[in-house]
Amino acid sequence: MMRQNYKQAGLFFLLFILVSAQPACNNSGGTVSEKRLDGYSDDEIKSVLLSADSLRTFSFTEKRVDEIKKSLQLPTPVLLCKDSLNSNQQLAQIIALNEPAFIQYAKNEAGTPYRNEIFGVYPARESDFSEENKPIDIKDVFRVEMYNYGLNLASIALIDIKQGKAVGVNHIPQTQPDIPASLKDLAVQIAINSPEVKQALGFKPEDSLALMASTKTSLNRTRCERSHHLCVAPTFVKNDKALWAIVDLTDFRLVGIRWTNTGTTGPASPITEKKLQDDKITSCYCELEQSLNKNGWNMKYMLTSSDGLRISEVTFNNQAVIRSAKLVDWHVSYSGTDGFGYSDAIGCPYFSQAAVVAWSLPEVAELRNDKNERIGFTLEQTFRSEGWPTPCNYNYRQRYEFYNNGRFRVAAASIGRGCGNDGTYRPVFRIAMAGDKDNFYSWNNNNWVGWTQEKWNEQTPQTSYSPEGYLYKTSNSQSGYFIQPGNGQFKDGGKGDFSFLYVTKNVTGKDEGESDLVTVGPCCNTDYHQGPEKFIEPQPENILNSSLVIWYVAQLKNNDQKGNEYCWAESVLQNGVYVTKTYPCFCGPLFIPAKN
Amino acid sequence: MTRFIFIWAIICFLFAGCKEKQVEFRANACKGSPVFVKRVAGFITPKSYFSTSEIRKMGLVLVENQGSQEKPSLRYYQHSSWKNAGWLSPIQLDETGNVYTAPAPFINVLDNPLQKQNTIYKVDGVTGEMREFFQIPLPDSLNSNNPYGVLGLLYFCEGNILYASTIAGSDRHVIRGGIYAIDIKERKIVDHLPQVDAIGMGISYVNGERRLYFGTGRSSEIFSVQINADGKFGGKPEPAFTLEGLGPRGDDKVRRIRSDENGNLLVYGIEFNYNLIAPREKPEALYEFWYNNEGKKWWCKSINSKTTSTE
Repeated sequence: MMRQNYKQAGLFFLLFILVSAQPACNNSGGTVSEKRLDGYSDDEIKSVLLSADSLRTFSFTEKRVDEIKKSLQLPTPVLLCKDSLNSNQQLAQIIALNEPAFIQYAKNEAGTPYRNEIFGVYPARESDFSEENKPIDIKDVFRVEMYNYGLNLASIALIDIKQGKAVGVNHIPQTQPDIPASLKDLAVQIAINSPEVKQALGFKPEDSLALMASTKTSLNRTRCERSHHLCVAPTFVKNDKALWAIVDLTDFRLVGIRWTNTGTTGPASPITEKKLQDDKITSCYCELEQSLNKNGWNMKYMLTSSDGLRISEVTFNNQAVIRSAKLVDWHVSYSGTDGFGYSDAIGCPYFSQAAVVAWSLPEVAELRNDKNERIGFTLEQTFRSEGWPTPCNYNYRQRYEFYNNGRFRVAAASIGRGCGNDGTYRPVFRIAMAGDKDNFYSWNNNNWVGWTQEKWNEQTPQTSYSPEGYLYKTSNSQSGYFIQPGNGQFKDGGKGDFSFLYVTKNVTGKDEGESDLVTVGPCCNTDYHQGPEKFIEPQPENILNSSLVIWYVAQLKNNDQKGNEYCWAESVLQNGVYVTKTYPCFCGPLFIPAKN
Repeated sequence: MTRFIFIWAIICFLFAGCKEKQVEFRANACKGSPVFVKRVAGFITPKSYFSTSEIRKMGLVLVENQGSQEKPSLRYYQHSSWKNAGWLSPIQLDETGNVYTAPAPFINVLDNPLQKQNTIYKVDGVTGEMREFFQIPLPDSLNSNNPYGVLGLLYFCEGNILYASTIAGSDRHVIRGGIYAIDIKERKIVDHLPQVDAIGMGISYVNGERRLYFGTGRSSEIFSVQINADGKFGGKPEPAFTLEGLGPRGDDKVRRIRSDENGNLLVYGIEFNYNLIAPREKPEALYEFWYNNEGKKWWCKSINSKTTSTE
């Protein structure tokens, strides 16, 4: 009896530990666990990032969205100041909106309106004037401040209501005026109605608990540095800690939350959008290896210094499938200039060899077929340059697809925009299969032909495929996989991989890319010299009944022509702000289980 | 453009008989002109400058501009040895016109092996040939997560000392960088400031003291440490001022510090996170700091965020 009680108590304790030790890093689907080491910041790990694609909306923002849409139809597309203004301030506002110099950026060159809003009308101050333009009497002069959400631009007019004209106009790019009380209230409402804030605090906060809402998260600049949106940080103090809730007032959404110590020496350094993202990604995915268990698939994954999102020890229904898979390099060459291009590594935001860094958290999402049936899941990671989609900035997406029937695909896409419309992207995948005694075959002349030595093959328009569409297969005495290169068949926008595939032998004790690889190849080779050949030449090894590594290099030519955009992105003005239209060029091979 | 061609006269001491530590800021404006600019490259020295950041040109490049700043007419010269160390970053001249530089990877590490990132190279002022000059000890903890080594060089005229800042071996949780004072003549380290991931450095003379100013890769803070006439460090680094909250990003790190002819500090700030994000994605801001003698502190006079760097 006593023993049974101990047993029950033990089970209860174990259950308690499991429940109370909920993983803080992973906010994706599936069952996850994490192992933390010393030295990691708990605040960074516990911070929450929300996806920019989140479809969450708040009912209290609907009225404002309607007002914005109506304002965009006006001849002068400007939302008037929501704060109460006296008659002189209202007069100043009207005069300002009739001043061509003040509203010159209200529309773009094509006449499409930006989203503009008057943030405040204040009595002018002595400091608003230089010695040269200082009027004799400033009591009739008002300072009208307008914000352009599309350009992230502050426009300031000094209006003399007695003269009925502007005595000075100034436009300051990448700057935001102080926000009006109405937007402050809106930011607080978004924060207190976000479940993440409520969960972090342990209760739903009252409006009055939010501090510093009217203080932009930067002293004088936006600190949603990446989106260039208008952001503020309502902050909630609990005991000796402060919870920062970064709210995006351009998109009306919560960007994320993070605890800081309030300390005794004043406020901590501001938590910004970029800092929030980089710290969380680093603490949770660069310094910790995560586990994922979903739909019979089991694996570990983490972000690397320069090889993108790496998965390892992948099993399906307890059968080993992949030792590890990752994306070693992106080679980008431009045909307009000989030898011009870059070898980009993708990886962690801090302390890495990455030229294009992880921008968001890895995401697990459902994979559905044409009939909207769940057929598996994806594990996906985005890497971005700060300035994307402006020229010479890059956006890469890495995606692993795991199907309920045991298929899997290792894929990636470029989403532009690069340095020109004559670019070719060559991602270098490394896929180490789990088997120790595998053999490799390619389809040739209606037969499977075995490879005896390390070698490579190119997929060309003339390549013939098996009746099922397969080009390669790996197999051992028990199982194997057919391999189907991208040929435009995956319905993800991909138009064919034109790939090089290399097979090398994995030798225990000899690291040929299993650990983080430095850049393996130069930017601009157009033939098979993409890097993996270094592990083949000059003396190819015998690969019969071996542990195999498959290297896969797709070749994707970008295109900016209307209707045919590929590996491309462009900004378009939508509802007064810029949004990015993307044209990804997905590539990568599909592995289909083969029964022997 | 004429960043290295300082024609300032060397004024050793304005006031004869002052105490040794009472020095004048221009005491460090001694840099000489490399003879090879004219003799080997055939360029007009006052119209030429060195660069390590010319687009698509790896290594050290000598650029001559026979046009104007608005309408440049550029010619380039590269000695055959100038690409040997891969992509480079800092450039410093000594009194006799020798040029010192150090490697820093650009976008990837193909041309910049990790083991060579703590090596300083010297371009002979007469022949123009570049050779290895000095190897700062590499830490055992060298790791591929941090591809950088020497990121700052600064010549100190009085002591004929080359200061080199390195961040080699540092990781997110441990600082392993340092500033090394290297006697150029003897080719030996005469002093070492450990456990600072310093990048940009500059010298100014405040309250009659020589001080080395430096920013780190870890924060926007600028520190200063006293230096003696022979280039040795005279105390512990102290916080001097910060770029926190300033400029377009608000968290810039110091890439370079120059002192102008008035003793002001020109601080070049960039985003830096110990990764290989392409420099062109990292616009630079120039912060001008003045020293307020009454308040005994530095204050930011101006910020120019449109500055582009060519080093």
